[in-house]
Amino acid sequence: MAISSLEELKKSIHSIIGCYPELKMSIHLRQWQTDFLRFFKSQTNYNISKNTIYADVQLYKDKKNYSFTVNNPSVELIRDRIVEALKVIDKLPPDPDFVDLETNLAKGIEVVKENQIKIISLDMKIEILKSFKAKIEPLGFDLYGTFICNNEINYLMNSNGLDKKWEMSPYYFEIKAVSNKTEVTVLESFGGDTVELDTSFSDINCNEIVQTFKNKVSDFAQKCKLAQNEVIDVDSGDYEVILAPRCIGELMQYYVWSNLKVSSVDREETDLIGKEGLKVFPESFSLYDSPQHRNVVKTEYGSEGHLIGELPIFEKGVFQNFLVNFYYGKKLGYEINGNQGNCLVMQTGEAKLAAMIKSVKKGLYISSFHYMNFINERETSLTGLTRDGTFLIEDGQITKVVNNLRFTEKITDILNNITDIEDKSTVYPMSDNYGSFSISAYSMPHIKVKEFNISSSTKTV
Amino acid sequence: MKEIIQKIIEKLNEPGITFADVRYTSSDYQSIFFEKGHLKYLSTEKNDEGIGIRVLMNGCWGFAGTTLINETEIDKMIKMAISNALQGSLFRHQKVIYMPIKPTTGSYHFNPVENPFLMSEEEKIHYFENLAKLLTHNDKIVYSYINCDFFKQYKIYANTEGTFTDSTIYDVMPKMYVLASDGLKNYSRTWPGDMNARRGGFEKVRDFKFEENSERVIKEAIDLLSAPSIEEERADIIIGGGHLALQIHESVGHATEADRMFGMEISYAGKTFVKQPMLKKFRYGSEIVTIYSDSTLENGLGYHLVDDEGVPGRRVDIIKNGILNDMQTAREIAPLLELEPSSNMKASYANDFPLVRMTNLCLEPGKGSLQELIKETEKGYFIDFTKTWSIDDNRNNFQFTTEIGYKIVEGKIVGIVKEPTYFGITPEFWASCDKICGIEEWEMYGTFHCGKGEPGQVMHLSHGASPARFRNVVCNVKA
Repeated sequence: MAISSLEELKKSIHSIIGCYPELKMSIHLRQWQTDFLRFFKSQTNYNISKNTIYADVQLYKDKKNYSFTVNNPSVELIRDRIVEALKVIDKLPPDPDFVDLETNLAKGIEVVKENQIKIISLDMKIEILKSFKAKIEPLGFDLYGTFICNNEINYLMNSNGLDKKWEMSPYYFEIKAVSNKTEVTVLESFGGDTVELDTSFSDINCNEIVQTFKNKVSDFAQKCKLAQNEVIDVDSGDYEVILAPRCIGELMQYYVWSNLKVSSVDREETDLIGKEGLKVFPESFSLYDSPQHRNVVKTEYGSEGHLIGELPIFEKGVFQNFLVNFYYGKKLGYEINGNQGNCLVMQTGEAKLAAMIKSVKKGLYISSFHYMNFINERETSLTGLTRDGTFLIEDGQITKVVNNLRFTEKITDILNNITDIEDKSTVYPMSDNYGSFSISAYSMPHIKVKEFNISSSTKTV
Repeated sequence: MKEIIQKIIEKLNEPGITFADVRYTSSDYQSIFFEKGHLKYLSTEKNDEGIGIRVLMNGCWGFAGTTLINETEIDKMIKMAISNALQGSLFRHQKVIYMPIKPTTGSYHFNPVENPFLMSEEEKIHYFENLAKLLTHNDKIVYSYINCDFFKQYKIYANTEGTFTDSTIYDVMPKMYVLASDGLKNYSRTWPGDMNARRGGFEKVRDFKFEENSERVIKEAIDLLSAPSIEEERADIIIGGGHLALQIHESVGHATEADRMFGMEISYAGKTFVKQPMLKKFRYGSEIVTIYSDSTLENGLGYHLVDDEGVPGRRVDIIKNGILNDMQTAREIAPLLELEPSSNMKASYANDFPLVRMTNLCLEPGKGSLQELIKETEKGYFIDFTKTWSIDDNRNNFQFTTEIGYKIVEGKIVGIVKEPTYFGITPEFWASCDKICGIEEWEMYGTFHCGKGEPGQVMHLSHGASPARFRNVVCNVKA
């Protein structure tokens, strides 16, 4: 479906909503496209292109709720499905907690995003990969990873007059160098809205885009050299660790999911109920959901269409706010902010990374986590593994590669055990890999943590 | 639709194209969710259509998929798939080698006893509402839900070798959950656990006997608030079939996906500790352990006439009497291992790219009942109902937590323990399996939620298992 006809469909949807004054209705119309290059052993695995359009429709009649999805939607299809829904909805039990659909009609600045799929062509991706390959192959490494460009257009309308549009077109380039000899892996990822801070792809020409990535090759090769060191195992026990931005970003994502959304209050699964304004972590720790931050994939609206801004979650160790959507905000009496935790930004500290590493007598540098899962959400206890580069620090220097390790920890203990925070942030792109491949980005510094519980070794890298 | 697919195949039967296949799926989906006794949503998706076109050119794959079914879009997708293959081949030094196979034609249409898509919404809602209310009467239960997903998919698979099949399947996945709290601590119980998907219709929902089990899960969740943890460093554990299905899934299923062996999943799902020289030699488990992939089992979610590259359904013994015997493979991978393709290439929907996936991966039963096994266990724990699962990049180091454990002393259950957490290294763990219950305890479990690939796909699949005992397992890991 061409964009103009998507626009036309959106206009018709307004009239559909108007035809049913007895209903509370919300319609989310979304077109999602991706161009997706997957590579392994320094060559193409496959290239795919996908195009999907759907409409999510949610209906309330009084407090009775029915929702449906129409793929490849047309006005006729949506109308037909509403007629079917009306035959059912009266027979359903009510949801006594339902109050209304989103009422926040405020709009952000509508930004037309350049379509990254068109800007970063497959040819360009391959040229960029060839430059990485040329540099790291002589070191005995092969390339594995993905280079993805997404483009999506969203329209969200409801019967309260809400009428929002937003576009997103992030890219995600994750590259792993894997040693042919030891399988030790080095990971680098680039992604978000822009290639460099404040530089849009659309502002530079093709050669400059390719060159921008080529400029990263030397740093990457440097990391590969570090990964050529001896591989060792370590015993289980408590370690002083330096967690890379990706690690702390993932931990914060898990914390948001389990304990910081207001739905966790409804489930009584968070210990933060009633602790707004109280100091729960060290003063050095501040965390924000910052949808307009220059480094993240910018987002104007929450999932129900609420205009969202920067939300302090923790400031100087003091708990400030849950992330509150419309439904549970109304149900539980919390002020609605609409934030979703997709744009997490952690406050930087004052330490240089080199100095942080230098201060560790014996410890670990952990590049990435893998397969985390909660043991008990309320306790924030979880287990997971290190992946893609775990290194031993001895007398202030990274000396050896360490097998991947399992940790069993509480997120709250990790935050309480932070002893140092880096003075700069790194953008870490993330993907929601279920369903459509949506891309977001967090901005996190390195952190140093004491008494990090390594519970076992995998004996492999 | 069959004619449209046939026309696409005709367009793809060109000299420059080594192989091509086309899939069409039309999926219906319904989800019912009651939270704290109230219906939170009833959502449906009907005729969710998609087409996927995969071509092999110059030794490289190109793929394009769409949910827009019209001639213009399909022509665009054909061009895009071809262009993706040709451009991709410029960065490909090892060409994909694809041995031809005999074409298959046929149809398979599963008929559920109670078709959930033909039942009235009222009947289904009434059924779950009654169950949802049962979970809300105790003050210590602070949160509860019951949900059910219904799925129907019609699929056409066709390729340039002449294979042309169509099929219809129905799957269900219901679950109840209660969370008990004393204000300081929370513990949960579910029924029937996490491997709760079945091939079939509403009759499979009724088979779970939710009403009869609701009081039990409420009581056990509350009892967990005052239950001890496992204190021993190591213990003998009997793992119930539902949780064992997940153990098989994570530590055997994913580990023996051959695409991982060749690094094709390093970018996301990971690698495997299983290496090519281990085939036919490596002791993966004790002699009583035989684990097979069988896509011809009609009661499993992984049944098919052919997989998503035209390989007819078949049984392959992955682990035979404890030895690594075979792998789950694709047509391009099997010859590299001197194996026959195992019929494990699957995609969730037509507009997804097929990957090596589990179908019905089953543990062959042993002998005897669960009661007999408990009776002959001097000291240990019977554990079931998955709470946490985590396994490393190479599928070697795992750590699982179940919701509950039942303490066994001198062949009798004497109490419960909370959140038993055990850890192991895959081959050592399977080598410690000394007893597997018999066919009378064997059941086909399943899930809708096996994630793999980029962009992500979630696969419906099954595991057959009966409870089994493992000796001397590390089981007191704590945060």
